[in-house]
Amino acid sequence: MRIQVNARNRAFQFDALPGEKILYAGLRAQAALPYECATGTCGTCKARLVEGRIEDAWPEAPGRKFLKADRGEFLMCQCSAQGDLAIEVASFVHPADPGESRVGHVGGSVRSVRPLTHDVSAVEVTLDAPCEFEAGQFMAVSAPGVVGMRGYSMVNFEQPARRLDFVVKRKPGGGFSEWLFSGNAVGARLEMFGPLGKATFHPSAGKNILCIAGGSGIAGMMSILGRAAAAGCMERHDFRVFFGIRTLRDAFFLQELSAFAKAQVTIALSEEDVPELVSKQWPGLRFERGLVHEAAKRAMAGRYQDVRAYLAGPPPAVEASIRVLLLEAKLTADCIRYDKFS
Amino acid sequence: MICRTSEVPANGLKECELDGGMKLLVANSGSEYFAVQATCPHQEVALCEGMYDGNVLTCHQHLWQWDIRTGAAMGMAEAPLERYDVSVEGDAIYVGAQGALNVGELFSGIGAATLEALARLARREEFAAGQALYGPGDRADDFFVLESGRVEFRLGRGENANPAGFMLKKGEVFGWAALVDGHSQRIASARALEDSALLRVNGKQALQLLESDPASGFIVMRRLSALIARFLADAGAK
Repeated sequence: MRIQVNARNRAFQFDALPGEKILYAGLRAQAALPYECATGTCGTCKARLVEGRIEDAWPEAPGRKFLKADRGEFLMCQCSAQGDLAIEVASFVHPADPGESRVGHVGGSVRSVRPLTHDVSAVEVTLDAPCEFEAGQFMAVSAPGVVGMRGYSMVNFEQPARRLDFVVKRKPGGGFSEWLFSGNAVGARLEMFGPLGKATFHPSAGKNILCIAGGSGIAGMMSILGRAAAAGCMERHDFRVFFGIRTLRDAFFLQELSAFAKAQVTIALSEEDVPELVSKQWPGLRFERGLVHEAAKRAMAGRYQDVRAYLAGPPPAVEASIRVLLLEAKLTADCIRYDKFS
Repeated sequence: MICRTSEVPANGLKECELDGGMKLLVANSGSEYFAVQATCPHQEVALCEGMYDGNVLTCHQHLWQWDIRTGAAMGMAEAPLERYDVSVEGDAIYVGAQGALNVGELFSGIGAATLEALARLARREEFAAGQALYGPGDRADDFFVLESGRVEFRLGRGENANPAGFMLKKGEVFGWAALVDGHSQRIASARALEDSALLRVNGKQALQLLESDPASGFIVMRRLSALIARFLADAGAK
C-alpha cells in the first residue's frame, strides 16, 4: 500500500505493510513524522485524511480527544491504510537524520520478570535480532491479547543491544501491566516498535547532566547514566540525579544508583520522613523528605551552569520540574529534554 | 473592551473571549499590556495554562516560547504568535486585529513607516477554492502574504505534479522568488485549496522600499533567509 503524506513543506511517499500503523510505516521510511507517545495518548501524530480509507485499531484511544473528527482527523499511531492513501500533516516534516538509529519493528520474548518493589517489576526481553538505540529512548510494546501499545524506556545501554530491560509499574486496569503481572508473561512473544523518543543522551553532549525522575521514570535515566559512566563522562562533568518516590517501600535500583560513584544521587521521599538508618545502609546516596522537583530546586540553586536536564515520570512531576527549570533556574527550553509518552 | 486591567494578574495572563467567541490571551508586563492568540500554533493547546515570567511566554506542552511584546518565536518555537494591537483607557483594555503583513514571519516588527508603505504596495485579492495562482514558468514578479484560507504548492507539471507543501497561517509568505535576485520564474504551481484572501506585493517595489530603510530591510532579509532555509532543510539540518 502506497501512502502519501502532504506536509507543510513537502510531500513524502512510502509503502506500508498490511495492517501496519501509518506512523510506524513513515518512521521506517525515514520520514520524521510528528509523534511523542506513539501509543495513542498524546495526540501529536494527528493527521487529516485526504483520500483513501483507514482502519482505526483503537477508537477509544485517549489521544482522540485532540482530534476534530468532522475534519477527517485521525491518529497516525493507531490507524492503518486500507489501500492507497493520501493524508495531510499540518506541520513541517523533514527526512530523519541519517545518523539516528534505524527505527523498525522489533521482536523479542520475555526472559524474566523480577519484582523490584510491591508494584514495580524489571522485565528482561531477549531480542530476535540485535538492535541499536540511544540512551534515553523507549519502545512501543505490545503483548499478546492486549489492546494497544505502551511506551517503556530501556534501562540498559549496549551498542548493539541483544536484550532490552524495562521497568513496568503495575497499574490496576492497565492491560499491559496486568498481563505482565499475571505470571504468564515469561516466555511470551512481544512485538515492539522503536527505538523512539528524542530525550536522548550522547557522550558528545559535553554538559553537566541533571536527571529528575519520578517512580518508573528512573528507567531511561539508568540508560543515560550507564552510557555516561562507560564513556567516562562523569570524570569530566557533574551528574546529579534526583529520584522521587513515595516511601522507602517504593525504592528500587538503589544498588545500581550507588554504583555510579561519581554521580550525586538524591532520593526524595514524598510521603515519609527519611528513616534513621537508611543513610548508613546507603552511604553513597542522599535521602531527603519532599517532592522530587523541590529537592532538585534546593540542591541545584546556583549550579545551573552548562546544565542539560532530563525529566521523566508522572506528568505532574515533570511539569513541576519544568516550571522550576524554566521560571526559576532560567534554563533555556533547549536544555530541557523529556518525552511525553506516559 | 476585552477585559479590565484588574482582571489580568501582575506579570500574568488572562484568557479573554471576544464577541463572536474568538479567544485571545491578554498579558501584563510591568505597566504594559499585550494581546496574542490564545492557543499554541503547534497543537492548539491553551496558552493561559503555559508559563509566563512577564516577558517570555512558554507553552507547557512542548516548551515553544515567544516574546510577549512582539509574538516573535524564540528557542524551539517554529511559528510566531499572532499579536493584536492593545490600547488601555482607564482600566479598560481594547484590542484590534493586526494586518496580515504585520503578523507575518517576514515583516512583523519592522519600522512603522516602512510597514505602512509596504501595506500601500499590497493589493488584496480573493481566490475561490481550486483557483490557480501561478504555474511553473510564470514570471515571479510578486510575492504573496496569506490573509486567510489555504494555498497548496505542486512541483512538476500535469499528471506528474507532486504536492510540495501548503500554507495555512495568516501572515505566511510565499512566492518569495520575487524577493530573490536571479529567480525570475516560478518553479512550482500554487492554487487555493479553500477560498482564500491574499495580499499581492510587487517584489521589486518592496525591495526598493526596504533599501530606503536598511534597518528594516536587514530584518526582512534575515527572516527571508531563515524562511528559505526552513523549506530547504533536509537530512541532518535540525
